[in-house]
Amino acid sequence: MTATLAALEHWSGGLWPYLVVILFGFLPSEIWRWASVFLVRGLSEDAEILVWVRAVATALLAGVVAKLLLVPSGALAVVPVFWRWGALGAGILAFFVFRKSMLAGVIIGEAVLISAALLAAG
Amino acid sequence: MPDDSSPALKSPRQAALAGLKAAAGLPSFMLMASLIGVGGLCRDVGYPMGAAVASTILVWAGPAQMVLFGSIAAGVALPLIAVAICVSSIRFVPMCMSILPLMREPAVPARDGQPARKGTPTWLMLILAHFVAVTAWVEGMRRLPAMPKPERIPYFLAFASTVMLAAAFSTGAGYYLIAKLPPALAAGLLFTSPIYFTVALAAGARQSVDWLALVLGFGAAPLVALVVPAGFDLMVGGIGMGTLAYAIHRLQQARRRRAEGA
Repeated sequence: MTATLAALEHWSGGLWPYLVVILFGFLPSEIWRWASVFLVRGLSEDAEILVWVRAVATALLAGVVAKLLLVPSGALAVVPVFWRWGALGAGILAFFVFRKSMLAGVIIGEAVLISAALLAAG
Repeated sequence: MPDDSSPALKSPRQAALAGLKAAAGLPSFMLMASLIGVGGLCRDVGYPMGAAVASTILVWAGPAQMVLFGSIAAGVALPLIAVAICVSSIRFVPMCMSILPLMREPAVPARDGQPARKGTPTWLMLILAHFVAVTAWVEGMRRLPAMPKPERIPYFLAFASTVMLAAAFSTGAGYYLIAKLPPALAAGLLFTSPIYFTVALAAGARQSVDWLALVLGFGAAPLVALVVPAGFDLMVGGIGMGTLAYAIHRLQQARRRRAEGA
């Protein structure tokens, strides 16, 4: 496998990075999207099973958010844990206070986080 | 506020324009902020700028792109990277499965003098599926159900390709800029995904089952991460908590029906 890859790298020359993106990034993620097209064949939009599927997708994304804050990468890791969650809480609060305004939620959350990052650095 | 003031059906062009407009604000901004870092990661491994932009257009999943370039930088073997990306991308299945039926027009056989109508062709469904990622999903799930069916595909395609274009531009810009950013701003950029996803999910939650899934998925994530091997924890948590939310929803429904029946 390694030898095949090395040969492919040599053969493709300057196009190798693009080949890497297609073979090892695009294809492994795209197969799931394409598989879904065939999985939903014959399902109408108000099929009961889709209520469950949507609940799974929602819970999954909520988990992604929690994970991004629990195990932060790069510059976000510098911000103390209390402030990471505090900024998220402030954003949610602002979202509801400003009558479900997503913009208000994002701006207030970001403002709290960037201030905390400045304090942590300074 | 649902804008049902004009009951007339929008033309495909008008629907596409509405999608473009909806994409131009917060959704594009948030994707630009979260993909700027991918450009920098790509540069770190010595790949050309075009590879970073290609990854945004083809992979179309910020976390997977970060895994791709971050793991190359760490010297992980390419087949192993593909496996990691493949595992983390399973989350596209529930996302695609819940949004695609909102857009697909079923085939209708000829009846009562009406000619038969072909359903949405598979090639178009594959293209629609490619555009599904978190942003297009949360925005689509929130807005599509209120729209007349023929408007949904042009709206979604315009919305998704606009945010993709903005994200691709930002990935290219990030290739040159990211190293020059002050750290507090870089932290702010990394924070855009979590805060945006959270408020977008909250804005899109319509029924009690959505709220349950949201709160349970969020709350259980730290516990699930402790018990389940990394890489699978999101999937296990998603299926587990989503199913729990759905079960509670069904119990509530049954109780309500029984109360009405009594």
